[in-house]
Amino acid sequence: MNVLGEQEQDAVRSVLATLEQDVRVTLELGPTATPVTVLAAGGRELDTGAETQAVLEDVCSLSERVALEIVEHEKPGPWPRTTIGPGLVYLGMPLGYELTTLVHGILEAGRSEPSLTRASRDRLDALEHDVEIDVFVTPT
Amino acid sequence: MLLAYKLALASPRIHARGIEASEFAVDADRHGIHAVPAIVVDDRYAWAGAVPEAAFVERVLAAVGD
Repeated sequence: MNVLGEQEQDAVRSVLATLEQDVRVTLELGPTATPVTVLAAGGRELDTGAETQAVLEDVCSLSERVALEIVEHEKPGPWPRTTIGPGLVYLGMPLGYELTTLVHGILEAGRSEPSLTRASRDRLDALEHDVEIDVFVTPT
Repeated sequence: MLLAYKLALASPRIHARGIEASEFAVDADRHGIHAVPAIVVDDRYAWAGAVPEAAFVERVLAAVGD
């Protein structure tokens, strides 16, 4: 059963049709280190791993250039964790606006050249050590 | 979040993660996050709110002191 509606599938398919190279998406699942209860509209409790898997299977099925790998862990950790391409990470369920971001993350990873401006790339070349950027979001 | 991904794809020095704040509330609380998007650089709260690309890059560089 598809999670995405027909209009959403068409929109995702048209975005992914512009991929210039193959992209691997890895979904890691397992027991969560700090369990939380996430409720859907109507009060239904969500299985965050299963929901994420269903969404990613839908998205990745819409392009032959996108391959999905699912890894099951036995030890508790920050699951579900989605990794796009060379290391773009998303922790949690990519729903709502974040689903759009995930699809565009796949698009960015599938470009033959980074889309960041030359000026920004020149500024980043000044970095002398590794930098971790975490962006906290909510699925609105 | 997409901008953080773009930075990570453009620089091997940068590693980017999006984190769903309600599922990872312990981490969000640890950084005192009350509004999203909230940006944490090298495990330190940096700023909240969407900004254009050039400003995002400058804020990241300022946060790491480069």
